[in-house]
Amino acid sequence: MDSTLMLTSAIRELLAEALQVPIETVPPDIGFGDLPQWDSMGHMEVMLLLEQRYGVEINAETIAALTSIPVICTYLTENGHA
Amino acid sequence: MPETLEITPALPIPEHLCGEVQSKLAYVDESILTARVAPGGERITLQLSQPADGDVRARLEEKVQRVVTTMVKGAIRPKVQVLEDHLERPVPYHKDPNDELFACRELSQEATGIFTLGPLLTRLVAFFEDRFLELADSFQAEPYRFPILIPARYLERVNYFRAFPHSLSFVTHLREDLDAIDHFAAHAACDQHGALNMPLDAFSKIETLLSPAVCYHLYFALADRPLPGGQVTATAVGSCFRYEAINLTSLERLWNFTMREVIFVGAKDFVLEKREVARQRMQSVFEQIGLAYRVESANDPFFIGEFRKQVAFQSAFQLKFEIRARLPFKESTLAVGSYNYHQDFFGRHLNITLPDGAPAHTGCVAFGLERIAYAFLCQYGLEPANWPAAVRQGFSYE
Repeated sequence: MDSTLMLTSAIRELLAEALQVPIETVPPDIGFGDLPQWDSMGHMEVMLLLEQRYGVEINAETIAALTSIPVICTYLTENGHA
Repeated sequence: MPETLEITPALPIPEHLCGEVQSKLAYVDESILTARVAPGGERITLQLSQPADGDVRARLEEKVQRVVTTMVKGAIRPKVQVLEDHLERPVPYHKDPNDELFACRELSQEATGIFTLGPLLTRLVAFFEDRFLELADSFQAEPYRFPILIPARYLERVNYFRAFPHSLSFVTHLREDLDAIDHFAAHAACDQHGALNMPLDAFSKIETLLSPAVCYHLYFALADRPLPGGQVTATAVGSCFRYEAINLTSLERLWNFTMREVIFVGAKDFVLEKREVARQRMQSVFEQIGLAYRVESANDPFFIGEFRKQVAFQSAFQLKFEIRARLPFKESTLAVGSYNYHQDFFGRHLNITLPDGAPAHTGCVAFGLERIAYAFLCQYGLEPANWPAAVRQGFSYE
């Protein structure tokens, strides 16, 4: 498995954990609002877990930007987390 | 005999959170008369209604530290965005109008946070209400009338209990029980604090509350079906109830206040565009009125458990902007209205759908009628001759 696929898989697992949903309900292209659980509070749970696992700084810019798995993966890759 | 308790916060309170923490300390304990966070956030001073022994002080300090830790630990500094700044608009009055309002019986206090307004204030409220109705008309908003009661199950459905438990106002009535009603009729009386002397089991279970907001009623009315025509613009005025304990002071912060709202439901672009157009239209209205104010990003007063995450989210997505009017006598500002966007929160939680099946987005512009009248008097005084011409002419005094 290449690093992009591995990262996508890891972020799917992270989302499933943060949103407390089965991983089968988290497709690789999912975005904010696509699941009822990924609402404002769910999004902040995702951000907190990204902070814990990857050291992502939670600020207004990252909260507003990191709203889908592809964007999260791109952000992590560009910031040396892949 | 009041007693003072000084507490050093477990974590230094950043300046941008001092006011927020201070307002939440009101809910820590019934014995607290005043709570103050020093400007540097390094000390908290509580004034208590009675002397406190070691155990009581320890229990109070533990609760205070819980508030501080929950709100401060990991707090994210909000992104402050100022959309308009007219705070330096010259205004002629710099005194505290409260003494004069009470002296001339324009203001009478019935109980904490409950005030009666006299003729001048009432006419001033009507003047501002007319301006907001003109705004609503400019959007051809459909008029609605909403109840002041709201079912508990409605508020539960939009997570209100988790977000704002501290400010809820509950409604009950005597149980349908002849013995209980007869007993109440024969024995009900108030103690020296104004509290009824009846046991709680005389009252029904709580299924209803006093409504904390106006726009919620529209969203509930639209729930569980497709949005008619794909978009709705509505307006309503209503009484709102938010209990704020020792923070309930003068017309600045009422338990029972009145809001006029213009509400938008539809697609994201529709809601955001209307919110922005409303702000621009109100900018010229406030200029005519001569109001000194600023429009800046803000957050709702979430309780401590939800505070950090919800505030960070609101700030990141710029969901709320407040109209903050200047109070010259205390060199501070007071929120007199707000421009709000809720994304698709209500659409998803209440199953309000657009023609394509997606959840509807919602937003509202809301004006606190008592507050804007009060802020205006703080800037221009009680003598109509000193008011801007646009207010004098639109005021039913002339």
